[in-house]
Amino acid sequence: MSAAISIHGAVKAFGDTVVVDGVDLSLPSGSVTVVLGPSGSGKSTLLRAINHLEPLDRGVVTVGGETIGVRLRTGRDGVPRWKELPERHILRQRSRIGFVFQHFNLFPHLTALENVAEGPIAAGVSRAVARDRAAALLERVGLGDRGDTRPRQLSGGQQQRVAIARALALEPSVVLLDEPTSALDPELVGEVLGVIRGLADTGTTLVIVTHEIAFAREVADHVVFLDHGRVVEQGPPAQVLDHPQHTRTRDFLSRVR
Amino acid sequence: MSTITPARWRNRAGFLVLAAGVVVALAGCSAGASADTSGAPDGSVTIGAASNGAAKETTLEVTEDTKLHDALPAAVRKSGKLTIGVGALPAGFPPLAFTGDDQKTITGSEPDLGRLVAAKLGLRADVQNATWDNLFVGIDSGKYDAGFSNVTVTEQRKEKYDFASYRQDNLAFQVLASSSLRFDGDPSVLAGKTLSVSSGTNQENILLEWQKELRSKGKDFTIKYYPDGNAVRLALDSGKIDAYFGPNPTIAYQNTQSKSTAKPTTTAGTYSGAGSSLQGLIAATTKQDSGIAKPVAAAINELIEDGTYAKWLAAYNLSNEAVKTSEVNPEGLPLDNS
Amino acid sequence: MTDTTRAPQREATSVDDAGRTPEPSRASRPETATIDAAGHAALDRPVVPLRHPLRWIAAALVLVMLLNFVETLFTNQQWGWPAVGKWLFSPAVLTGLQLTLTATALSAVISFAGGVVVAIARLSQNPVLSGLAWGYVWLFRSVPLILVLVFLYNLGSLYPTIGIGIPFGPQFQVPTANVLGDLAIGVIGLSLSEIAYASEIVRAGVLAVDHGQHEAAQALGLPRRRQFVRVILPQALRSIVPAFVNQVVGLLKASSLLFYVSLLDLFGVVQNLSSTYPTDIIPLLVVATIWYLVLTSAVSIVQYYVERWTARGSVRALPPTPFQRVRAAVRRGSGRGSGRPGGPDRARQAASAARVVASGPASTIDDRTI
Repeated sequence: MSAAISIHGAVKAFGDTVVVDGVDLSLPSGSVTVVLGPSGSGKSTLLRAINHLEPLDRGVVTVGGETIGVRLRTGRDGVPRWKELPERHILRQRSRIGFVFQHFNLFPHLTALENVAEGPIAAGVSRAVARDRAAALLERVGLGDRGDTRPRQLSGGQQQRVAIARALALEPSVVLLDEPTSALDPELVGEVLGVIRGLADTGTTLVIVTHEIAFAREVADHVVFLDHGRVVEQGPPAQVLDHPQHTRTRDFLSRVR
Repeated sequence: MSTITPARWRNRAGFLVLAAGVVVALAGCSAGASADTSGAPDGSVTIGAASNGAAKETTLEVTEDTKLHDALPAAVRKSGKLTIGVGALPAGFPPLAFTGDDQKTITGSEPDLGRLVAAKLGLRADVQNATWDNLFVGIDSGKYDAGFSNVTVTEQRKEKYDFASYRQDNLAFQVLASSSLRFDGDPSVLAGKTLSVSSGTNQENILLEWQKELRSKGKDFTIKYYPDGNAVRLALDSGKIDAYFGPNPTIAYQNTQSKSTAKPTTTAGTYSGAGSSLQGLIAATTKQDSGIAKPVAAAINELIEDGTYAKWLAAYNLSNEAVKTSEVNPEGLPLDNS
Repeated sequence: MTDTTRAPQREATSVDDAGRTPEPSRASRPETATIDAAGHAALDRPVVPLRHPLRWIAAALVLVMLLNFVETLFTNQQWGWPAVGKWLFSPAVLTGLQLTLTATALSAVISFAGGVVVAIARLSQNPVLSGLAWGYVWLFRSVPLILVLVFLYNLGSLYPTIGIGIPFGPQFQVPTANVLGDLAIGVIGLSLSEIAYASEIVRAGVLAVDHGQHEAAQALGLPRRRQFVRVILPQALRSIVPAFVNQVVGLLKASSLLFYVSLLDLFGVVQNLSSTYPTDIIPLLVVATIWYLVLTSAVSIVQYYVERWTARGSVRALPPTPFQRVRAAVRRGSGRGSGRPGGPDRARQAASAARVVASGPASTIDDRTI
């Protein structure tokens, strides 16, 4: 059910600033990868490139062996190039990749249940099945009795848990989490991390951008340290977090601990 | 793609009903709200109907002249009706043309003559109301066969229209009874005054000509334009204008109506609608070379001969504006408006 | 005023966060550090809020002016209130009112739908579509409504017949003057103009939706149409509704231009009647004013409830509507009223209150006595 992710030569610039500067990563299926880095290091952009929310200038991402957002086409000059796919293909690809945003981005005019059921319904699942699936997912994240409330009536932690349920509703092979607890009050962070921990235990491929070092140590299989758009260091958490090899990694870790 | 649930059905049904309603509402009304067809084929025409006291309601017998009927253009004959255009929107100008006190009938001396002419020509009368400008555009486009709306013959209009005259065109200055203004043909008494006139009329041309004359002598008066008669009335009442220059019958009617009110009006002087040297003439307006003007003029002449014309004028108290015959394209207000 | 009494715990010097004491001069100023006997005695009394006598005087003046004006409404004969009463519900005025409502309703619906379409076109990536939409908005915001009506109504002068057919072959034609009825022309003219304004309002509303919502919808892989209809538009409605209702209220008045297509709406009827009954010009204008006030108030009430509906996700709990507030006040008043007559009820209330205090949290309180 889960898929492997590989990123080849990703480059992305915004205007004159190069935000992702040649990143190659290979994340095996079922692994939990935590991406760390100072602000502006390009970690969010890299994450968003995986489901083509940010189209890359150069390079390609594959999920489960399928290239995301682009396909290879040989032009009339005989040179093969990566060409952007039509939007409906990209949307279909995205429905197999779950994404959790830092600011939840729940749909405020829909109830929690409707939020979670929206993805499957749009993908063609019958309403009844989608709502059942949504109810089960809300139960799983500990909000089974809050299906009929609107996001504004929930706390930040509860909203993010609904957002995770929403991302899971499409039964994705990969789930991407972009600083899932950064916008939460400290006492609410724990409940969300608990849900993510549970998710990791199910064996779904996860890529998490976060500042929670302790969590990374506990849950991650693989830690990637990104700085100025480049992978500075990567490896098992014990190695990167406790025995960093590069000065920049050491500086960053000493600042956030 | 997605299954349709009861809630969905309600939404979609709602949209469809809304859309259908819009289409039906638009398609439904094909007739304008300001048309009325009348004229029984038995030849009896009621004039002064619902006129709110502007005229005595009278029923006249008009016999059809089949020879004239045959002289009409084929299209008019085939339609069986004479589409009469009246320029009394949004506000009418009693007693000449206005909406009657049944709030439906377009009544007044002008459409009534049109009804009499239609009966003489053996046609049903279809009176339609429009704005003054749209009246002329409608005649151009063939929407109206003839306009009966206090239109003065001018040389400028003769370039596009054919006329069949039927009444004298006299203009007057309307002032508040308390005003000391008196006019006897010399425009210099107007110096320094604020006057109002309806735009697009021959009286406007005359007034502008006088203004030019005064300006060459170093004097001037101000002209204010108002969208309709009601606004003019209010302006006169409140003192915003000193005088209104308009058709004599309308002003005479308003003078009578206002006699018992707080601000009565009176006439400060009259003038011919065709300038200082000619008698102004009111005529039925038809499109040039449409072949309608001659039969209409002939019909009016027959009405004059058998006395119906005189009865019509008497009912509206306009006997002093009678003409001897109806002429096709008589001389009108000269191009230089003098 | 000598500071003979000093509350024991009141320190003249205070220590701030960084552990430094402030300058001694500040500490020794008596008025900031101590209160005297009279001040102590006043501690038990409630604090008196600031009064604003001038505001009351100004309000009284404004009220006096208003009342003066209202008095003239009754004493000045020119208003002609008897005539107003005569015309307010007359058939002609009601017919005109009906046309105003019909034309406004039809144009509002059409212009909203059209506005959404043009706004979507304007926001699309396709340059041709967005260029055409921009051109439409530019044209119909420039040309005054009355000119639109003039051109439409007199299309027959420009194009005497309208038809379709094989180019250079047989054609099916119909005289232009007869294709559309006057109401259709009027509503189409109103709508063409309104769509341009409505589309800008819709576009503004869509732009106001948080970008994160677009991203979330995209991340879920929702098809474009569903993104717009299910996620973006409902949220955009919150910003669209007030501005759009503004336009609808404007439409109520703009329908007065329909006299140009020989249709008389409320204002047109009033003008028409005024010419037939020139003594009633001002009363008829008052009639029109009254009806416009009624119509706009009705629209405002509908707007209030529509806004509550669109706000349902954006606020934690909706505040009570004026109607609910009145109902609650009435209920409160009647509750108090039923307790007022005589002492026995008072004593009963006091007794039950005492019981509440005595029994603590696990007590029942009679709602009616609150």
